[in-house]
Amino acid sequence: MAAKKLRRARLSQELCERLSRHQITTCQDFLCLSLLDLMKVTGQSYGNVQKLLCKVSLACAPKMQTAYEMKVRRAVNPSSAFLSTSLHGLDKVLHGGVPCGSLTEITSPPGCGKTQFCIMMSVLATLPISMGGLNGAVIYIDTESAFSAERLVEIAGNRFPAYFDSDEKLFSMTCSVYLYRELTCGSVLKRIKSLEEEIISKKVKLIIIDSVASVVRKEFDTKLQGNLTERSNFLARGASLLKYLAEEFSIPVILTNQITTRLSNGPAIQADLVSPADDLSLSEGASGGRKRESGCVTAALGNTWSHSVNTRLILQYHDLPTRQIRVAKSPVAPFSTFFYTIEKSGFVLQDAAPKTTLPTKTALLGQVL
Amino acid sequence: MQRDVGSLPLAPALRARLVAAGFQTAQEVLETGPCGLSKDSLLSPEFWLQCTTALGSFENLIVSSRNIEIGISKEEALEALQVVRQECHSDATRTAGAPGTSRKCTALELLEQEQAQGFIITFCSALDNVLGGGVQLTKITEICGAPGVGKTQLCMQLAVDVQIPECFGGLAGEAVFIDTEGSFMVDRVVDIAAACVQHCQLIAEAHQEEDHLKALETFSLESILSHIYYFRCRDYTELLAEVYLLPDFLSEHSKVRLVVIDGIAFPFRHDFEDLSLRTRLLNGLAQQLIIIANDHKAAVVLTNQMTTRIGQSQSTLVPALGESWGHAATVRLIFHWDNNQRLATLYKSPSQKESTIPYHITPHGFRDVQPPAVTQNPEGTEMNPRKRLRREEEK
Repeated sequence: MAAKKLRRARLSQELCERLSRHQITTCQDFLCLSLLDLMKVTGQSYGNVQKLLCKVSLACAPKMQTAYEMKVRRAVNPSSAFLSTSLHGLDKVLHGGVPCGSLTEITSPPGCGKTQFCIMMSVLATLPISMGGLNGAVIYIDTESAFSAERLVEIAGNRFPAYFDSDEKLFSMTCSVYLYRELTCGSVLKRIKSLEEEIISKKVKLIIIDSVASVVRKEFDTKLQGNLTERSNFLARGASLLKYLAEEFSIPVILTNQITTRLSNGPAIQADLVSPADDLSLSEGASGGRKRESGCVTAALGNTWSHSVNTRLILQYHDLPTRQIRVAKSPVAPFSTFFYTIEKSGFVLQDAAPKTTLPTKTALLGQVL
Repeated sequence: MQRDVGSLPLAPALRARLVAAGFQTAQEVLETGPCGLSKDSLLSPEFWLQCTTALGSFENLIVSSRNIEIGISKEEALEALQVVRQECHSDATRTAGAPGTSRKCTALELLEQEQAQGFIITFCSALDNVLGGGVQLTKITEICGAPGVGKTQLCMQLAVDVQIPECFGGLAGEAVFIDTEGSFMVDRVVDIAAACVQHCQLIAEAHQEEDHLKALETFSLESILSHIYYFRCRDYTELLAEVYLLPDFLSEHSKVRLVVIDGIAFPFRHDFEDLSLRTRLLNGLAQQLIIIANDHKAAVVLTNQMTTRIGQSQSTLVPALGESWGHAATVRLIFHWDNNQRLATLYKSPSQKESTIPYHITPHGFRDVQPPAVTQNPEGTEMNPRKRLRREEEK
């Protein structure tokens, strides 16, 4: 929208030519100038310049919708609002599963199962809608070369034996998972930019990037001067591109992240400004015997990145082989924890009831009302 | 009337010609009339020379010389005169102190206005107390906080609360929600709105008054959702364009009492090498929002992110967008964590004391932290939902 040429904003031809002589060709350039500058470049009076501003703004402003219209649209297509994770407890808490149209992040220490989760979600996205899938293709951007096609087939065969009963079905499923190996930040960004056409032509319904943290942390050493801003810029650009794709096509985007230790040099670390859900060492079930250094263990990639993702799930070790999955940030779900193990068929939840850290609903109702 | 010709809001070329022809004050222009103007500003040879040297290249010369030969037509002259006349009129009324368009009033009038104005309650009575009643109209309130602490939740709560009918203590207004981050979830607004409607229904049942029941007929889930106007801005250009168009939108929908911009920081934090441009755009935005808040008697709520400031020995979290942005908002709230408890601090306010209170996000929305020893008591006998919550806490 920003790069929309002024010609298309219904400005007169001679005005467009005059503006292009001053290097103002897009709506973005036009709206960034102050009123006096605009008067100078267009040679028009104050009142006329305001009318021009209105015209250009109308050309690139977003359309209005009421919340009611959005709800009705969701109700018409309920299955397309979420991708079910096939973990019943988690789906219930998340009001359906991984939400479409926003970014979901999976964070964990190494070896907890991020890549397994991603492979499992790839299988689920290719399932038909009647089975809770999205009946579409999957784009898997792999930066660690950790994707294993054999594991994909194993999970599919063991999780849905009734559906994948023939080799044909397995092959057609594997044909819909498109794998891209990107090893640098620049190539990841280039790949994301090229995704728009692929999504339309291949009918993609899920984008997975595994993992964002490994490629970013390899290239940006935040102790060096200026690298922190470069890294934030790269992440913010990537996040806004992915958000645009997620919303435009109403598909879920899953990203994986690593953890880092945030050290402090004094007692007064701003730990109160870090969400307790992000602080892995504060959760119960963290493997005991780990000394609490003067610092806290959090998701990597910094604050700006945490603002950009809409949902965050944290995987952690519990008592081996059990691990736990926590909902740390979600606009619809409270903090909750589930226990799981990794089997042949992928993730398997252990307990029936989730642990939430809020008082129960009935007690709340009595007190608020 | 003695206004200098160079300061009139005419097209620059026209202005330059008038000055070159010798007009100095607006009075002289008005006295000359359109025919005189068009004759007089046909150019003197000196002006021609000035233009040719200033214009440089030959092509430019040809193009602009065509314009200069024509001079000003009578129609252009008439237009210019009308602009000048309008300017002089508005100058005159401003100096004469005419009411209505002027922004002058005594402090007593302002006091009466402020007291009659309502607040937008947040359903968290502690936060309402700290703010002096709730989110104030005609002011810009900024909410900063770490990710996941509840800024968008509060915005969604306010978008529902502004619509509470007047007999229940609300403003019966509508809300504009400008989303730049994509964190607006309709399902969550449905939950919050349903809880609010239920709350009002319980009050109405306890009182059984005519106007309560009548108001409840129009205060339903459907009507609440239909009066939240949602705009999704993907980058700062769309945001700037939307804010330019907002005054017209608010004039059409005159019942809007709340404008929320969720995520003013997000579009300005990447792809901006030119920080001075960013500061200028942000200041322009802030000015336009103040004008909108005042003219349409609406509350403007902005949410901001936190960023890490690398200090000498340690790094701290501070609100994003820089120091100068801190001056833009009238009221600033900072949301943060303390172990497992969410806290809200009133950091900047012209009339209230700085203080910190805890709050909760429940399935029903933004709420108080319930004190541990509260007995289950039947609903109070107060009309105002805010007062009811406070009563319970005192008990």
